[in-house]
Amino acid sequence: MELSDLSAHELALYLRQRRISAVEILESCLKRIEAVDGRPGRLDGGPLTVEDEQKVHSFITLTPERARAQAEAVDRKIAAGEDPGPLAGVPFTVKDIFCVEGTPSTAASRILANFTAPYTATPVARMEAAGAVMLGKVNLDEFTYGSSNESSAFQPSPRNPWKLDRVPGGSSGGSTASVAAGEAPLSIGTDTAGSIRQPAAFCGVVGMKPTYGRVSRYGLIAFASSLDCPGPVARNVTDAALMMNTIAGADPHDSTAANVPVPDYLAALEQGIKGLRIGLSPDYFRITYPNLQNGTFETQPLPAEIEASVRRAADLLAAMGAEIVEGVPMPNTRFGIPAYFVISRVEAASNLHRFDGVKYGYRTPEPMNDLRAMYRQSRGQGFGAQPKLRILMGMYVSAAQYSEQYYNRALRVRTLIRQDFDRAFDPQGPYRLNALLTPTTPTTAFKMAALYGDSVLMQYADQLTVPANHAGVPGVSLPAGLDGEGLPIGIQLLGPDYREDVLLRIGRAYEEATETDPWRRVRPQALL
Amino acid sequence: MTMTEYEAVIGLETHIQLNTQTKIFCSCKADSWNDAPNSNICPVCCGLPGVLPVLNKAAVEKGVLLATAMHGQIRPLSFFDRKNYFYPDLPKGYQISQFDQSLSSGGYLDLPVPASASPDGQAYVRRVSITKLHLEEDAGKTKNAGGQRFVDFNRCGVPLVEMVTGPDLRTADEAAQYLTRLRQLLRWLGISEADMERGNLRCDANVSIRRKGETHLNPKTEIKNVNSIENVRAAIEHEIERQIREVEAGNRIFAWTLEWDEDAAVLRKMRSKETEADYRYFREPDLLPIRLDDAWKTAILAGFPELPLERRARFIREYGLPEYDAEILTAERKLSDYFEAAVRAYGGDPKRVSNWLMNDILRMLNDRGLTADQIKLAPAWLAELLKLIDSGTINISTGKSLLQKVEESGLSPAALVEKEGLAKVSDDTAIRAVAQEVLAENPKEVEAFKGGKDTLMGWFVGQVMRKMRGKADPNIARQMLEELLK
Repeated sequence: MELSDLSAHELALYLRQRRISAVEILESCLKRIEAVDGRPGRLDGGPLTVEDEQKVHSFITLTPERARAQAEAVDRKIAAGEDPGPLAGVPFTVKDIFCVEGTPSTAASRILANFTAPYTATPVARMEAAGAVMLGKVNLDEFTYGSSNESSAFQPSPRNPWKLDRVPGGSSGGSTASVAAGEAPLSIGTDTAGSIRQPAAFCGVVGMKPTYGRVSRYGLIAFASSLDCPGPVARNVTDAALMMNTIAGADPHDSTAANVPVPDYLAALEQGIKGLRIGLSPDYFRITYPNLQNGTFETQPLPAEIEASVRRAADLLAAMGAEIVEGVPMPNTRFGIPAYFVISRVEAASNLHRFDGVKYGYRTPEPMNDLRAMYRQSRGQGFGAQPKLRILMGMYVSAAQYSEQYYNRALRVRTLIRQDFDRAFDPQGPYRLNALLTPTTPTTAFKMAALYGDSVLMQYADQLTVPANHAGVPGVSLPAGLDGEGLPIGIQLLGPDYREDVLLRIGRAYEEATETDPWRRVRPQALL
Repeated sequence: MTMTEYEAVIGLETHIQLNTQTKIFCSCKADSWNDAPNSNICPVCCGLPGVLPVLNKAAVEKGVLLATAMHGQIRPLSFFDRKNYFYPDLPKGYQISQFDQSLSSGGYLDLPVPASASPDGQAYVRRVSITKLHLEEDAGKTKNAGGQRFVDFNRCGVPLVEMVTGPDLRTADEAAQYLTRLRQLLRWLGISEADMERGNLRCDANVSIRRKGETHLNPKTEIKNVNSIENVRAAIEHEIERQIREVEAGNRIFAWTLEWDEDAAVLRKMRSKETEADYRYFREPDLLPIRLDDAWKTAILAGFPELPLERRARFIREYGLPEYDAEILTAERKLSDYFEAAVRAYGGDPKRVSNWLMNDILRMLNDRGLTADQIKLAPAWLAELLKLIDSGTINISTGKSLLQKVEESGLSPAALVEKEGLAKVSDDTAIRAVAQEVLAENPKEVEAFKGGKDTLMGWFVGQVMRKMRGKADPNIARQMLEELLK
């Protein structure tokens, strides 16, 4: 086993014990990247070669010099007997939707390809302050708009390390692919409708969407500001907890970052789950989607393997002392995607207004005499298809004559979804849940190019994750075995506001219960 | 039809720059007057990717003071919204503003219109309703030069209150009066420098006309870019005349946006306004709602002052001042505070204090460029000085010259009188001796006086006063001279 395959908490421990150095850890990760990542995504990346198809392509920008300087600083601190921080020497990757001072911060879009951030996002700054070593910026769907990573303007886009002809999921696909492939033990992603949890499920890693406001959004290039949550991607629950300890908490730069005390997520991790009430909902064992031919809604059960993983997890947790509550109604789950379609696009269109070619980013090279023409050309050439679709729809549904029937209605639906969770978690209510256990995704990782271009169907990959974003509640996706094709299956835990600690505790218990499962020893294809 | 058969309907939209230390959503300095372009900027006010606004509470507090002064209903819960539009000086592509649930709703100002600004020469009061009062961030500035377009973001994020009146004003003079009163109020509350020339008070005027007696609203034009109260008055006057001419000529009034050209004193058409822009307002998700709970509101309003118009009325009522005096003394809050403190310390006739303030103290303030709280001649010392005159210790001319001396030395009037021996000489023998001297030195004048030129008495008194360097009691000097000349 190489250092790059160790977990973050093991690396941090060995480093403190002076058994390894930060530079050794870094070199191991860089070696892994060299071996499996292939060429980084770039604009006009050209046709895929056969070799490209065998690589992971997590990165847009690798920053080895910066990383080496940080690793050396950690080693010096340790040599000097100073406290190097709880994440000292632990490498991590950053979804390229976060600004990091002095590095290209592209949002995987042509319009920001030449943008170098003059400041660092709060969660990244906290990671670095804790001694973690940033390896670089990893790929994503353009502006996070997607569930497969294929919409990145920087190609080749990431591939699923478990099966390289599959998508890693999205939009934090570069994050989950880099962690699954052992390029880094940790990554920081963002989740607006499932963008951490869905790719975590597809790549067989742990991905947490914290409570809205638990982690500062300062420096996160916004998609839908009322839904965006930065969060950790890790290979196990303990590492996710360790990372939450570092990134969570109030921030003077973000007034929506909650001023709620942050517990020590590691402290409670091993306390067990005796007496916790964990719910199962029939509304999470099916997906509902529109039939575009006749406008009706159709319901489909989930693949048997996925439902079975969730039921097995429930049995294991019950055996460890949890109380399983069946039949929890979450009736508004099926409206999550339509409401999301409206709310996220209104906010996205507005958030994209600033990319006008005036101050930074892409401006059309053609000389323009007219301001409007410059806007049109710059935005027309700079944005890819996904931002354009979101702008069109966002502008449409927020127009004065439509906003009541679309936007305001979607906001009311959002309240209804929140009420589903309130009822399920109400300590005086009929269900009194500590957590809801669900599948993370309706399918395992789909083939590259299988869905891309069908933005409606693509969006339904998020049906089981998006309700948590509407409601603001925390969720975590845990690896829960492999399907018949050897692709990871993810299960999801959803909890009440600010109870990430409980979700992590249940996740840790599940890890213990499945420690000896054979699938835990299977390595992804990219590492074979 | 003649002009007198029409009335104008005017509403004013004002933008008030609040004088906070820092901008509304970041910690950049708010005031950039005379600063180099783009020198007070940061990632937040420049709208860089990923930044978030954090509300400056001082802007809310100043907004609450204004809303309270305008009798608005403060909302315990108000929201910020995004106003979306594209312009190079708007770096985020939206302005953070307030829309349907703003800081305050309603309100009014009872505007006294003096006889001098009244069409029939009779003073009256016009109630001006407030239809909108909200907080927002300012945009930057663009300018064209040398075939290029330059953007200055210094002003981005400067806190503004947008305050809009109902269509309640009827003459250009009323509009000017409203702005004068608003400027006075803003400075009184200490929430804005309210200088139109510097753009910290900006005004757009909506103007339409109708026949007297009609109650509907006709299409209006909007006058922009006017940078003084006098120009607002002039621009509105021109526009009223133009609209009457158009209507009289059988033409329609179109909803144009007009720009006032100050140098040429004409209005120019900027653009037609056929349709209302759709700003796609929605709640700003990056900011929490403003929760004005009772504790915060109480703290903000703890030192809420008596307002200028109220104080003006009270000065007339309580101190028996003429309206003219009350107006001048309440033009500025510190001056009115000075007046009251001096009246209290003096205990005598308030009108006497007023006279000294309006004649002497105001000149001193203007000459020195100071406000009433900045001079060494504190209200208590003015009172002391007046008492010295009343008691006959010094005469009026000594008193007047003492003003400067007190201000320059920082010593009290009594101490200066003592130190410089300025007390009036009331000793008959000393004055008699000087009077004899004067008469002896001026035999021609004595002869002329005796020949019937009575007016020379004043001249003789003056000579005595001069010889005694002003310290003689002029009444006693006159008595002595009259005796000696008998």
